[in-house]
Amino acid sequence: MKPATTSWADEVNADYVDGLPPSKEIIDGDYKHITQYKFNDEGKKIKVVRSFKVERKIVSRAVAKRRTWTKFGDSRQDMPGPNSYTTKVADDILMNYIGSKDFEHAHDHLDGNKPMAKCRICNGDHWSVKCPYKGTSMDIESKAIAAATAAAVGDTNKSGKYVPPFLKDGAKGRERDDSCAVRISNLSESMTEDDLEELVKKIGPFTKMYLAREKTSGLCKGFAYVHFKYRKDAAEAVEVLNGHGYDHLILSVEWSKPQN
Amino acid sequence: MRPLMLQGHERSITQIKYNREGDLLFSSSKDQKPNVWYSLNGERLGTYDGHQGAVWCLDVDWESRKLITGAGDMTTKLWDVEYGTVIASIATKSSVRTSNFSFSGNQAAYSTDKAMGQNCELFIIDVRNADSTLSEQEPTLRIPMVESKITSMQWGPLDETIITGHDNGNIAIWDVRKGQKVVDSGVDHAAGINDMQLSKDGTMFVTASKDNTAKLFDAESLMCLKTYKTERPVNSAAISPIFDHVVLGGGQDAMEVTTTSTKAGKFDSRFFHLIYEEEFARLKGHFGPINSLAFHPDGKSYASGGEDGFVRVQSFDSTYFENIFE
Repeated sequence: MKPATTSWADEVNADYVDGLPPSKEIIDGDYKHITQYKFNDEGKKIKVVRSFKVERKIVSRAVAKRRTWTKFGDSRQDMPGPNSYTTKVADDILMNYIGSKDFEHAHDHLDGNKPMAKCRICNGDHWSVKCPYKGTSMDIESKAIAAATAAAVGDTNKSGKYVPPFLKDGAKGRERDDSCAVRISNLSESMTEDDLEELVKKIGPFTKMYLAREKTSGLCKGFAYVHFKYRKDAAEAVEVLNGHGYDHLILSVEWSKPQN
Repeated sequence: MRPLMLQGHERSITQIKYNREGDLLFSSSKDQKPNVWYSLNGERLGTYDGHQGAVWCLDVDWESRKLITGAGDMTTKLWDVEYGTVIASIATKSSVRTSNFSFSGNQAAYSTDKAMGQNCELFIIDVRNADSTLSEQEPTLRIPMVESKITSMQWGPLDETIITGHDNGNIAIWDVRKGQKVVDSGVDHAAGINDMQLSKDGTMFVTASKDNTAKLFDAESLMCLKTYKTERPVNSAAISPIFDHVVLGGGQDAMEVTTTSTKAGKFDSRFFHLIYEEEFARLKGHFGPINSLAFHPDGKSYASGGEDGFVRVQSFDSTYFENIFE
């Protein structure tokens, strides 16, 4: 006869067939926790705990019967329950409702109150090609002025020395308007443009956004500049977001100062 | 609930369908094995092994006993849903593009491609006592399509008619008993029709077309009732069984996918109001165009299959049900 009890060490070995402890299933009220052990790609033993919420549903007989069908084809070997190779739970994605406040804000820099077109001929609210004065004396005049300015700019550069574009005459026109810009600092490293957009679009439409990033790692350096479309929105951002807690940090928001 | 991602296919999804109760979800793809899943938890029940080419279409009958698939290996196969075995395999002269059971499940229809010197043809078979001898039997009806190829198909009410969508944008209704065309839509769509799906009561259907629109048609007169405009080809469209909502899926052509970013690709499912023709919501998820969409019969979730080879089952959150259209 076999001895009824073996040494405790043997017992443990017998359980671990392939060097892995057996999987366990714990049912705790409406929750089921399944613990499995397996080897990962590097050959290391890992423990996988999966928790499920058990839901009870009343279904028609046909549906209930179909739940008991045995698996076939490529799923023949699968255990009951979803196989993690074929069934994955994806990240939650929220519906983006059009017409909601967020959506409108996100899109109104395209069709805002300010007309985008400016006519070079008559300074009207349309593109130059559609100008009613096109080809008239006014058009020719404006072209002459443009030519004259171009010539004047050319004159200053006659010395032959290279002048960087931002120092050239006429470069002033290109200078951006910083009056609606705010500086947001004390941002966390994990901040992304999307997060920042999420944060500021609630306040109002913005035209430009710059998130400072570390060159090598690509992580956020902790500050960002946002150019709002309207000065009142920028003022509101300074008012509201300054001292606002975000990602466990207290943001500091101030008006953007000129660089020098 | 978080969306489920079903990864049973190795190539792009061609069609997905729920059974009548919505507990099973069938998916076919350009790999050779259609899959069946439990829609509730995403568990795969099995695969239907036997085709040797891309599976273009599938349909499940009213009782969820039989599955019909059509494939590029020039066969259409009837399957036992429970065991995954082939009941009958019918050889055709070119690949099978569409296949559908009639409402009662007594008959099935399938159409073949216009390829390899063959004309597109529509076949109707009796599947009441289907067994392996079905492949030797003559189809009960055979309608040659001379003008254009059938790209989508649905059975009309009472199993008396078949509605077909063609690659030139035409839609036609065929009388099954006479074998004749009874209604022709004329030119409503400017390009091929990728998908047609009936409303729950079968009085209307929505088409998805390459001409960047989806349209709602009356299922009897083929009168165009509504138009839903997008800026990309629409691959699939479905009508919600509980709300006046239509969901559209599409994206740019598969060949352009690698050259566009996901952001610019517009791979979202787009929700339109059925009556006001206005888009009210979008849902991201796929990183390729959506090829097939299906609403769960209870209207509380929907599934989409994409060119990326994934099937996503998305349950609607509470905001969807609270969102009242003004």
